[in-house]
Amino acid sequence: MGSILRVALDVPLATLFDYLDGVSTVQPGQRVLVPFGRRRVIGIVITRAATSEFPITKLKPIAYAYEDEAPLPQATLKLLAFCADYYQYPFGQALLAALPSRLREAQPASLPRRMGYALTSAATEAGMDAIPSRAVLQRKIYQALKESGPLGAENLVAIASGWRAAMRQMQDKGWVSEVEIEKPAMLAVEPKAAPALNPDQQLAVDSILAAGPGFRVWLLHGITGSGKTEVYMQLLQAMLADPAAQALVLVPEINLTPQLEARFRARFPNHPIVMLHSQMNESERLHGWLRAQNGEARIVIGTRLSGFTPMARPAVIIVDEEHDSSYKQQDAMRYSARDVAIMRAKMADVPIVLGSATPSLETWHNAQAGRYKLLTLTARAVESAALPRVRCIDTRIQRPQDGISAPLIAAMRQRLERGEQSLLFINRRGYSPVLLCSACAWVAPCTRCSSRLVVHLRERKLRCHHCGHEQRPPLQCPSCGNPDLHPTGHGTQRLEEVLAGIFPEARILRVDRDSMRRKHAIKDMTAQVHANEVDILVGTQMLAKGHDFPNLTLVGVVDTDSALFSPDFRAAERLFAQLLQVAGRAGRADKPGEVLIQTNFPDHVLFHALQKQDYPEFAVSLLEERKLAHFPPYCFEALLRAEATHFGPVQDFLERAVRVARTIEGKVTVYDPVRPQMERLKGMERAQLLIQADSRQVLQQFLQAWVAELRALPQGGKVRWSVDVDPLEF
Amino acid sequence: MISNRLVLSGEVTEVAELRYTPAGIPLLAFTLKHASQQNEAGMNRQVECEVPAVAMAKMAEQAKGLKLGCHARVAGFLAKRSLNSRQLVLHINELEIIEKG
Repeated sequence: MGSILRVALDVPLATLFDYLDGVSTVQPGQRVLVPFGRRRVIGIVITRAATSEFPITKLKPIAYAYEDEAPLPQATLKLLAFCADYYQYPFGQALLAALPSRLREAQPASLPRRMGYALTSAATEAGMDAIPSRAVLQRKIYQALKESGPLGAENLVAIASGWRAAMRQMQDKGWVSEVEIEKPAMLAVEPKAAPALNPDQQLAVDSILAAGPGFRVWLLHGITGSGKTEVYMQLLQAMLADPAAQALVLVPEINLTPQLEARFRARFPNHPIVMLHSQMNESERLHGWLRAQNGEARIVIGTRLSGFTPMARPAVIIVDEEHDSSYKQQDAMRYSARDVAIMRAKMADVPIVLGSATPSLETWHNAQAGRYKLLTLTARAVESAALPRVRCIDTRIQRPQDGISAPLIAAMRQRLERGEQSLLFINRRGYSPVLLCSACAWVAPCTRCSSRLVVHLRERKLRCHHCGHEQRPPLQCPSCGNPDLHPTGHGTQRLEEVLAGIFPEARILRVDRDSMRRKHAIKDMTAQVHANEVDILVGTQMLAKGHDFPNLTLVGVVDTDSALFSPDFRAAERLFAQLLQVAGRAGRADKPGEVLIQTNFPDHVLFHALQKQDYPEFAVSLLEERKLAHFPPYCFEALLRAEATHFGPVQDFLERAVRVARTIEGKVTVYDPVRPQMERLKGMERAQLLIQADSRQVLQQFLQAWVAELRALPQGGKVRWSVDVDPLEF
Repeated sequence: MISNRLVLSGEVTEVAELRYTPAGIPLLAFTLKHASQQNEAGMNRQVECEVPAVAMAKMAEQAKGLKLGCHARVAGFLAKRSLNSRQLVLHINELEIIEKG
């Protein structure tokens, strides 16, 4: 065994660092504390070597080795090495960023000791009759401890909420003692019965199970409300029959996880479930991570960041709503958690299921080409639930008053009279998107971004939704002095106000990032809607996904026209997905649903496809367009972004980058640098450079050579730059 | 010298609901119907006009006392309603209620 450790550190250099270690027995995958410059930092040992390319005398010894901790599995290191390579990001940074932050601190990391209670020998000898019969709780606890052995708090609370007082009395009498327990006992909790599957669902489950345990990508394409989650759960039920097997379930957004968590917990009361998402505190995250790694957690449910969670024996990976843009990390290492999950499944040789009602075109293309196996759910899971009827309201004829047209108001009134719920969808939070001076046409701008400030009237604030800048509304127009400034256009807050005026008797609830800021706000909102304490919901895309409200029969889409004419070639794909999702909220139970879309362009192809709710047809037409234009998935892209406080250095760097790119062999197209739609963001002047290639391999080869040269460019030091492989936004 | 000052008395014929600018300045719009005898070309004549007016801040507080049918004397300056409008609005900076309606 060599005395030199190669260590990965959280430093922006694509290299490992050599340190001396003659004393510890630290292994690859374990943490070490090492001196780096003037600091001491945490690193991960990658290998042990006998020699270094540096003179031994120049190497520093490690400061501390966390030898007692379980090393990160090789599979995790391999996956992150692949990602660092593919996404052109320094391995050390990729690896350390994937860890829970507690593992980046110079503190030993371990699971807390689990304490529980056991009967003492005195108690067993005396028997239960020694407890007076009126001490019901104590008798219950005695019974449980006798039957199941030592129990911890999570089990005892299930027996009786007031167990603590009774336990204290029993402790005082010397009948129970505190002991450490290994894991919570499995009490005989009956799992919630699984509903019978419809033929489509059954076929999906059977096909995946019949294909066996090896790597295969399945695309589960199911219309909204077709019961994809049920397919996942029955799949897991079968696959987790193996007592060591674990499942990883990725979900797009944090606001959907509480519902999913509840469904999984009810169905799998005897399988430890670990949740991993950004709203957990750091020790919860660490413990979840460690329990997944040691195999104790059988089901890991989490958002994008949980995709790297080490697992002892992964048996299946599920990516729900695979098309969702929140799977794409937009800073640091710009990876797609879905694509990483596919690579992870491949490395682990296990099946992966991608689920969506509107798969991304990349995924759909792969399924059409036979690389992924397509499974289709064509019927809604609740037998009596029909797909909602979708109609457009031509706003050139039915002019909206205060944002809402007469037919939409009439349809909402009908729902109110029948005691059903309506949802108005508007993808703009705040009161109004623009503050306008009607005397001189001045518009409140963000001083740091090329954007306008959004009016939040109730809080009396103007906010930039891009950089978070916040200010009080000006007393007068800074350009002409007029004090009478007008909030112009509609956001959720204004719509809520308008609706309150039209339907004074209705109970209206606004659901957007501002109103749902509290920790349990979403849970509470869902409960309120289920309890029929709400008549009208006004909300952003937060409401579009996953929610299952049986009494909701009308969805009104207030304004989407701006998205129809976006310069982004993915805009139509996204809008279709979003509208289909939000339409899918209507009529999920036995009442028929209706969807009304206000638009100036009712003849747009997108709305035609939406009315038929025919994703495959729409995908065919979009793919045709992409093929003609030679856009993804018919080509592979990488984007070089650069930004600085002044534009000069950005321009210098990108021009240099183009010149370098043109010297590199390879069939890639190098475009000229352009400015993105948002030219300034957070005080930075931005520009970007697009590379296209016909194959992933060609692009990868080019990037290897190019990025290495970019790292050496002196102009790179004056700007912040990054490479985005398979970019989704431009 | 640049001038923009109009003194006008008349009957209040419309009063809008008090509203606030985003910065919280109270603002009240109302209409004043004016009728009087004036001398023109050396002869007396009748004039009538209805003038939209707006009062802000302290003026708006005072203008809250304006009821339909009451008579008031106001003074202020003229400005067009909005960038592309040709309609004039009297922005008042003096207000006196002459007779409650």
